[in-house]
Amino acid sequence: MSGVRTFISHYWGVLGILLLWQAWVSISGLNAIVLPSPLSVVADLVANPAIYAGNAGKTFLVAVLGLAFGLLAGVLLSLAAWTSRLLNGLLTPLGLIFSSIPVVALIPILARLLGYDMRTEIAIVAVAAFFPTFVFVGAGLKSRPPGSDDLFNVLGATPWQRLLRLVMPAAVPNMMVALRLTAPEAVLAAILAELLMGTSGLGFMFREAAGRFAMERAFGTSIIATITAVIVFGLFMAAERRVDALWK
Amino acid sequence: MTLQSEAVHRLVLGAVGVGLFLAIWQVIGTYRLAGMTWPPLTDVLAFIADPSKQGLFVRAMLASFASVALGYVVGILSGVAAAMLGQVLPIMRPGLDRLVAVIHAVPLVALAPVFMVLANRDLTPPAISALGVFYMIYVATTSGLKAASHTHRDLFTALGSSPTSRFLRLELPAALPALVSGMKLAIPVAFIGTIVGEWFGASRGLGLLMVSAMQNFQIPLLWSAVLIVTTASLALFGLMSLFERLVYGRFQ
Repeated sequence: MSGVRTFISHYWGVLGILLLWQAWVSISGLNAIVLPSPLSVVADLVANPAIYAGNAGKTFLVAVLGLAFGLLAGVLLSLAAWTSRLLNGLLTPLGLIFSSIPVVALIPILARLLGYDMRTEIAIVAVAAFFPTFVFVGAGLKSRPPGSDDLFNVLGATPWQRLLRLVMPAAVPNMMVALRLTAPEAVLAAILAELLMGTSGLGFMFREAAGRFAMERAFGTSIIATITAVIVFGLFMAAERRVDALWK
Repeated sequence: MTLQSEAVHRLVLGAVGVGLFLAIWQVIGTYRLAGMTWPPLTDVLAFIADPSKQGLFVRAMLASFASVALGYVVGILSGVAAAMLGQVLPIMRPGLDRLVAVIHAVPLVALAPVFMVLANRDLTPPAISALGVFYMIYVATTSGLKAASHTHRDLFTALGSSPTSRFLRLELPAALPALVSGMKLAIPVAFIGTIVGEWFGASRGLGLLMVSAMQNFQIPLLWSAVLIVTTASLALFGLMSLFERLVYGRFQ
């Protein structure tokens, strides 16, 4: 009984929206072409598992590969900025500017520059992940435990040892935060790139379904896109916890 | 003195960095280092300034900026209202938190079909903007409302203030800095929402201009539309950063 009560207290909002949706369809008697009912969406999902799974897998791959490349580039550039005060002064404001612009606006330009294929989609996700990573890791490289710099001096560490054993480990937790924060945006960027270029994946499914007014398919894609985003986000959140537990 | 010269140093270097970026853009465009699809900066600026294109840009800007403004305002009002509801009626709080988390988990583009059937096509961009802004503001306001210290709360209670006056005179002012930070971060989100909404089939706007320019190889038009959107978003973001500094100075 108390389980039911907790469930309702936690999920009244979500349940309310689902009920409103079904009620709206039933009462207004809308045609299924306009607004499908939750049941018909589930039916389409169950009937075509291969189409949904294949495209979701492809979007997932693009998002994760793009995140990995964006992370790598962000870490390398923030290390370069760390080694030189001049580079740091030149790059940090640019990084801040680029991480606060609406990055999806760059998708059409990148698509035109690099051509319509999967490598471009990965590059788009990488660009979306790159700037926040650069800013976060850059901040992490500067936030070393107090006194640790003196300790390394006293013990006569070489610059390389300092970089590998002090500065880089200090930046790892920030790197994981950056990954978790950019993960939802990475999925969004991947879907939008697919939508605009119409190659394959969930974004392509949106485009195709909206084009022929297959609203069950469009709503089903929404659900699968949400699940994909949650999985990517959950993966990186779990990774962040794991790293934090090892690191602290 | 050293602090000041440090700040000046950083400012100069930052300006040089931005200048270098623009110069590299120009050089790549002039010598076609990245192919025909990367125009020089001066070409893009000349295209925007061209009087014969003025009508096109003004119409698209009016449509997009109206969407951004509408989505931003509705998102802020509903976000603050939902956060206050959770504060005043704590029993609603867990359900609200879950609902907001679910809304955030849905990629903005996945909501487009919902708005396409529920609302008029031209209302899709502001609706998607409003949802993104709503999430930011709800999170910022709920964390801000927790910012008032227990000591202050106890003091208010001991002096016999009503819950309403405690809310108005203690919790709300304490939440302002977090709220303003949320409003700053919500600006790019509002622009993203509008662009994504327009891609899903609005009848005018800068997002639509971008897509049609991309598909028809109108390279200067494509870059101009992107430059206008990013510059507008950055300018508003900068303004909000200044406002944020003011509020932090006064309320923290």
